[in-house]
Amino acid sequence: MHIVIIGNGVAGIEAALAVRAKEPDWRITLISEESDHFFSRTALMWVVTGQLSHQCIEPHERDLYERLNLQRVRARAVGLDLEKQQVRLGSGEPVSYDRLLIACGSRPRPAPWKGSELDGIGSFVTLQDCEWLEREIHGGSSHPGGPPRADEHLAGSDASSPYWRRPSVRDARGGAPTCAAVIGGGLIGIEAVEVLAHAKVPVRFFIREDWFWPMALDERESRWIADRMSSHGVEMRLGEEVASFAGKDRVEKLVTGGGEEEDTDLVVVAIGVVPNTEWLAESGLELQERGGGIVVDEHLRTSDPNVFAAGDCAAVTWFDGSRRPEQLWYTARDQGRVAGRGLLGDSVAEYNRGHWYNSAKLMDIEYTTAGLVNMNVEGEKNFFHEERGKVRSTTRIVLSGDRVVGFNMLGRRWDHSVLIRFIEEQRSLDHVLTHLNEAAFDTEFVPPLVLPSRAGELAGPAFSLNAEPVRPPAA
Amino acid sequence: MDQQGQNGLLSTFREGWRARRLSAWLIAIVLTGFYLWLYFEDREWFPVALKQMDPFAASLGLENRWYLYGLLYCVAMTGGAVYYLRRHGNSRYNRIRIGVNLFVQIVLAFTLPFVMFIFANKDFYLSYLWPLKIDYLYPDTLAKFPVYVAIYSILASLVAMPILALRVGKRWYCSWVCGCGGLANTFGDPWRHLTSTSTRSWKLEKGTVHTVMVVAVVLTVLVAVDLFAGDSMPRYHSVVGELRSLYGLIVGSILAGVIGVGLYPLLGPRVWCRNFCPMAAMLGLIQKAGRFRIKVKPDMCISCGNCTTYCEMGIDVRSYAQTNQSFTRAACVGCGACAHVCPRGVLKLENHSETRKDKKRTALPILDA
Ligand SMILES: Cc1cc2nc3c(=O)[nH]c(=O)nc-3n(C[C@H](O)[C@H](O)[C@H](O)COP(=O)(O)OP(=O)(O)OC[C@H]3O[C@@H](n4cnc5c(N)ncnc54)[C@H](O)[C@@H]3O)c2cc1C
Ligand code: SF4
Repeated sequence: MHIVIIGNGVAGIEAALAVRAKEPDWRITLISEESDHFFSRTALMWVVTGQLSHQCIEPHERDLYERLNLQRVRARAVGLDLEKQQVRLGSGEPVSYDRLLIACGSRPRPAPWKGSELDGIGSFVTLQDCEWLEREIHGGSSHPGGPPRADEHLAGSDASSPYWRRPSVRDARGGAPTCAAVIGGGLIGIEAVEVLAHAKVPVRFFIREDWFWPMALDERESRWIADRMSSHGVEMRLGEEVASFAGKDRVEKLVTGGGEEEDTDLVVVAIGVVPNTEWLAESGLELQERGGGIVVDEHLRTSDPNVFAAGDCAAVTWFDGSRRPEQLWYTARDQGRVAGRGLLGDSVAEYNRGHWYNSAKLMDIEYTTAGLVNMNVEGEKNFFHEERGKVRSTTRIVLSGDRVVGFNMLGRRWDHSVLIRFIEEQRSLDHVLTHLNEAAFDTEFVPPLVLPSRAGELAGPAFSLNAEPVRPPAA
Repeated sequence: MDQQGQNGLLSTFREGWRARRLSAWLIAIVLTGFYLWLYFEDREWFPVALKQMDPFAASLGLENRWYLYGLLYCVAMTGGAVYYLRRHGNSRYNRIRIGVNLFVQIVLAFTLPFVMFIFANKDFYLSYLWPLKIDYLYPDTLAKFPVYVAIYSILASLVAMPILALRVGKRWYCSWVCGCGGLANTFGDPWRHLTSTSTRSWKLEKGTVHTVMVVAVVLTVLVAVDLFAGDSMPRYHSVVGELRSLYGLIVGSILAGVIGVGLYPLLGPRVWCRNFCPMAAMLGLIQKAGRFRIKVKPDMCISCGNCTTYCEMGIDVRSYAQTNQSFTRAACVGCGACAHVCPRGVLKLENHSETRKDKKRTALPILDA
């Protein structure tokens, strides 16, 4: 049996490990264009800041592949022949498979503006984007040599690949950027901003919406994050669009929606990611019409019974019944494990998405969310509490009728599994307020959050039981 | 200031002096040289022209070079603490811990012995315990102490040490009280990412640290037997005497000082604690049986590697975090760095009393693995 896995990301490697755990003798081949080793994409920002080296972000010791006899091919897959059961590589060479897993992740959503192809404009999604930013800002890698065999894949690839490395214009510019711009107010955007601000590069943050990350935050929460960014020297440009870029060989100007021309010598575009599935367009594999995600059933099987898909590229069914990719680390990991079972021929393993939860760090403010937040649930009410003492934090509890259905927490650490338990047990606000500290996950000696024990006792300006979350106007 | 949130550490890998480059070798040579000087100045073979430390200490009004060393130690720790708190001071755990560390060093390990010496012509370090300070349980040393000091020494080493380690882990000593740990966590902090996290280094550590521990215990017993034997076994007496000074030379001077601190810039600040300290080994075994653990929040780790990189004891914290295992490792000194640097708040140091109820709620219905 020959298992071929396209992608050495978290979904791909987890599937490979799941297969190897049960079948010591099967041939397993991992095809990856991006890197020799599995690395944590979520940690790229700390490589740019110099907090971690390229090797630090590899979750396994480097001999893993030899130890488990996982064969690696560092090449770009450019086509798939379902009939012949073959993957075609950039070199033209075919790789035959018995069962195939596609775990090829996301690519950055292309920038729609005129001039976007100029040098000095890039994204922050792939290892090559990370190397590009390191070169632009610091003139080189955080760690001597950078990732191993960094250029190995370039021969069979071209600039249409997300793993192609943009040339650095540091020399032409004469040093580190002095007027950078980040476009797009989401998680990758704020990471890029943090990286630039840390390197003391003056940076403007263009966000089309009226506040940062309206998908997840309400206005009060978002204002706090925006203030924190400003206090780190970031110029917040809320509600501002970008119209185009201009420059001779590299980006020199950014033209705003209002027609202003602004000096700009580095741009990071972070307007989201899309499934990395263009190379499958001709294959006959069923893709979503909008978005291009690979359509999979609950076993993560695609329209072809020998082909599975997992991770960012797979359009799975969500808790609300909709079908779209889940672009998250832990879901990609879980999907990889389920797909591994599928590759083993197990037709029972299913991917069941539980409740939504996530966490992030917004500059230095920690964020935890669980359940239905900013989703306009029926009969929605939001309990909001702002803490301004030794600890600064905000607590938002979303109610549907008198049931707690969601949490949005900033500034403190929370155990999402306990928050989810409150939701599953359909608890009332009173119950949650009295028991909330069971979910506290702050480090030792941090004074616990003190809340009014009953919603009826709310008093003072710090407390509010808003009937409506403070939402942005519909886009 | 907010109590937590991660904004320290940055640029570690870009600052040349903190990387294992030429400058690190130079700093290591200077530190190693200093310790060789300190420990061996009074040896016959030591170049006479260089026997300057004792006279210099005297010119400062200090009794001998060890007080000078104590003074330098306080200065290095204070400077290191300022550096450390500027980076990690947004964690309350760190602020309190480093505060206690400094207090212990400056008051209990420097000022108090200094004053004792002035008044009683004898000094005693309340913060150093057997088996780290092995002679504090040698019967002949105990006999020389005033009774209350001898009782303190015995109770602290044999009663308080294990009880506290069972309740809160070895951290109460290794990263709150101990001078070696205090220096590692302040002056040594810039190099904490250099500690090897490989499986090989873990195996090596288990071998070496437990060997030293066994040697320390056996030696203490031998010394006790020697005392009770009195003059009846002169040969035995001289052998034990030689073993005592050999242990002092190899473990006390070379491993704890020259290598332990001298190699900070090359191997990280806990070379001694991790690989050689008999006290750390003993506390580690007790800790495994006790309440201390690092709790892992389920399914939230993004495998970024911050925790593993900044673990000064070389524990691959990520390998536990990404597989949802709360854990207790014997080596862990409870410095709290992993929990502090984790960008997803996955880790929490705690003294738990796990009940079934707690166990149940850490499980999430993700998949039927
Ligand atoms: C900057 C950044 C920060 C993030 N932070 C978080 C976070 O904090 N929390 C969170 O939950 N998620 C985060 N994410 C999202 C998370 O990283 C992804 O959801 C996850 O990595 C998806 O894993 P994957 O295995 O599906 O794909 P990927 O990790 O994208 O791996 C894709 C693999 O496919 C290979 N590949 C693709 N196309 C080809 C081809 N044509 N030929 C050969 N090989 C190919 C690549 O070489 C690569 O190995 C972040 C993403 C980014 C970019
Ligand atoms: S536990 Fe935290 S610091 Fe460690 S790898 Fe996971 S997310 Fe990163």
